[in-house]
Amino acid sequence: MTCEELYRRLTDHAEGVLDGEVCREVDRHLAECHACNQIRQDLEDLSRLCREQAAIRLPDGVRRRIEGLLESTA
Amino acid sequence: MIAGKATRARHGKRVLVPPRGDRGVTASSPAAGAPHPANREALSQALLDHGDRLYSLALRITRDQDMAADAVQEAFATALQRASGFRGESSLGTWLHRIVYTKSIDLLRARGREAPLDDEDATGAGMEERIGGAPTWARPPDEILLGAETREALEKALAQITPMQRLVFELREVEGRDTDEVAAILDLPPGTIRVHLHRGRMRLRGLLAPHFRGAVA
Repeated sequence: MTCEELYRRLTDHAEGVLDGEVCREVDRHLAECHACNQIRQDLEDLSRLCREQAAIRLPDGVRRRIEGLLESTA
Repeated sequence: MIAGKATRARHGKRVLVPPRGDRGVTASSPAAGAPHPANREALSQALLDHGDRLYSLALRITRDQDMAADAVQEAFATALQRASGFRGESSLGTWLHRIVYTKSIDLLRARGREAPLDDEDATGAGMEERIGGAPTWARPPDEILLGAETREALEKALAQITPMQRLVFELREVEGRDTDEVAAILDLPPGTIRVHLHRGRMRLRGLLAPHFRGAVA
């Protein structure tokens, strides 16, 4: 597997959807290729950065309006 | 999976398109009379269980707090109207997400703010699928990786990728929804979701590389 081929499969690999043999080829390539492993690490850092983003909350006023809507039809 | 299309060609551009009003949801027709109490209770519970994520979805599509609030409120009004028509082919949460998605797109259109999707074709290879060009990141320590400046850099980078890549990326990576859930919300095949995700991730990696190299150097 070339670096180019691996590059196209990195997300599928992370998502666990590659066929067994292709997955093993990706694993072997990553174990041997520092440059591709660096890219994989970049993507893991990107994921970590995203997981730290603050969660979005439904504003209380909107929640109350919807609760009122649901109650008004009782 | 619920029927409907997420994109279509329009005026030479690809745009976010809802599944033809609310016909993409599982409900078939407006309920006659008041909804069954059990449906009201189910929707009240859904507001507790899914309210934040429904609003988050609307906000990520509209980028506007007022429009997002309107989209969620209108979605519940629609769900209430059609509660007796909900056949349970999908979960109530998924059904509500589909309605919020549709309402958000409707509101964007009504206010002349359609979101162009210029490279939404998930079949061809994009620039971001070719290796090279973007330097690898210098390994940032956590105080830089997770700092305010990086969050700001991420926001700027997100503004530079396509709306569909951004939406898929945020739903998947920021909100942690799984690929099948994102596929159900956007009514796209999971494989297409992974293509948008891959392109978005690779483009963001390239866009953020200068930030990390500069920050660590």
